[in-house]
Amino acid sequence: MTRPKVAFFDFSCCEGCQLQVANIGETLLDILNLVELVEFREVMSEKWSGRYTVTFAEGSINNEESAQKLRMLRDRSDILVAYGSCAATGGVIGMQNRISRDNLISTVYGDQWGGEETRTVRAIHQVVKVDYTLYGCPINPAEFLSLLKAILCGISWRASDNAVCVECKFNENVCMYDRGATCLGPITRGGCNSWCVNNGNVCYGCRGMVDNPNRAGAEDVLLTHGLKPELIAAKMEMYTGALEAGNVK
Amino acid sequence: MHQALLSKRRLADFVSYLVSGHKLVAPVPLQDGHFKFDEVHSLDEISLKYIPTILPPKKYFMPQRSSLLRYDLSKIHEMEEIVELEQLVLFGVHTCDLAGIHCLNIVFSDHPKDPHYLARNNFITIIGLECNDYCDSSAGCAMLHTHLPKGGYDLFLTELSDSYYIHINTQKGEDMVDESSLFDDVTRAAEGELNLLRSRKRELFTSEVPIRYQDIPRLFEETFDSDVWSQLGEKCLSCGNCTAVCPTCFCFDIVDEPELDLSKGERLRVWDSCQNEAFATVAGGENFRRKRMDRQRHRFHRKFKYLMDRYGRLFCTGCGRCSRSCMAGINLKRTISALIEERG
Repeated sequence: MTRPKVAFFDFSCCEGCQLQVANIGETLLDILNLVELVEFREVMSEKWSGRYTVTFAEGSINNEESAQKLRMLRDRSDILVAYGSCAATGGVIGMQNRISRDNLISTVYGDQWGGEETRTVRAIHQVVKVDYTLYGCPINPAEFLSLLKAILCGISWRASDNAVCVECKFNENVCMYDRGATCLGPITRGGCNSWCVNNGNVCYGCRGMVDNPNRAGAEDVLLTHGLKPELIAAKMEMYTGALEAGNVK
Repeated sequence: MHQALLSKRRLADFVSYLVSGHKLVAPVPLQDGHFKFDEVHSLDEISLKYIPTILPPKKYFMPQRSSLLRYDLSKIHEMEEIVELEQLVLFGVHTCDLAGIHCLNIVFSDHPKDPHYLARNNFITIIGLECNDYCDSSAGCAMLHTHLPKGGYDLFLTELSDSYYIHINTQKGEDMVDESSLFDDVTRAAEGELNLLRSRKRELFTSEVPIRYQDIPRLFEETFDSDVWSQLGEKCLSCGNCTAVCPTCFCFDIVDEPELDLSKGERLRVWDSCQNEAFATVAGGENFRRKRMDRQRHRFHRKFKYLMDRYGRLFCTGCGRCSRSCMAGINLKRTISALIEERG
């Protein structure tokens, strides 16, 4: 039996989500028994010209060249997975949609600008149809495995739409609000096993909000904990700025 | 023998005796005044004074995630049932949490019986501990009649001035008392001290909200369309804290988890919550409780109306965990007070 052909690609991102798989350890050998890895720039130099069974696409789309490459991958892939925050919600890169281009370029490059044209940042589903989404900055290796196994077994899989608090309570962490901190866990999409809070950090909302967040209620809670409205907005939109841009398909 | 005394200086030896036999779990301190039940090896790790733990002891009776069966697709008709069993002694369980375990026992013994829950239950020994005072202002145990021991334990400890008064409720409890050889007979002085404590408690613990236990279900019936529910709906973030920490919430989801060879795998039971948006969504996308207001109202009615109709007891233990863990400030006692006020 031929193994399903799996490939990893990246657009605008730090490639940290692919690194999560490269670093997965011995389990990677088990995965390689199940799938044929045909392209993955971080771990191999071979290329593939045929069809992909599953394509994991990391990164956001911010120029026409990327959009064209993504459309080509969509056409050649049976299953396309938006892989990581930048692909899923635009990620931190989406913050630039709110800043004027001149201001952005002078802030980052000063007078050294001579780079490629970048335009409005979009998540992958804003450009092509996506079959599955793995959220997170970075993705959670356990969730990656869960999706990969579900695809290979042909069973249904959906990203969690529960708040981060759900798993945080499973893990019996002391609530960050009781520890004098504020945390975006109550309105952030879970599935990460409350990774940050387990390790003593607050939730920054890297997976974006749940499908139907009570944003006004969450703002009230943060206001009562002394945060200013501008800071609240900045926190809530740190990973989701790109979602305000319209779709191009 | 149904009562005994344990001198305070022998409590450490009793804990050591328990540890020598089985895994012992008891309340231990976490950061910022919180506690959890966790494995301990000696008395000095245990908090004898504690506010209700973040998660109630239900995590030992129906863990957050637990295996129900193992499957092998090459032998499709040979699924193997799994019950992850472990002899466990739960030490220092307050009366509110004993009431919570009692509620779960009722539900999982109802038809169809839940063999996983009941098998686990058989492996757990419970040693209760009386609250001589209120733990904090979130508690509502007097309103819910759970501030005094009413069974559901093997042994029950009440702290007196220089000893613990021990109620022995089961053969297992009696065996522990006999085998450890650390206990004394009850004295008349100890009896007197216990009676004094209990009468003091009857004065100290009075219904925290002005309503009688038996009148609570009717209050909820009459306030189904109250504005209180829409106010709760505006505040609620649907984070699911209130149900996770509730000692009587038992809803779960079933998920299959394949192994990496894809042919074998496990079927798991995972806690779910009526507060999660997808909980009441069915095929076709219909959601019976799409609004947060409906979900909060449903949670309260499960505690104070629906299960009373079915099982003849309220399914709130007054432990106060839901109020403590709600960052939006939804408070159980204030909600009941608001309903009373609105009904007039």
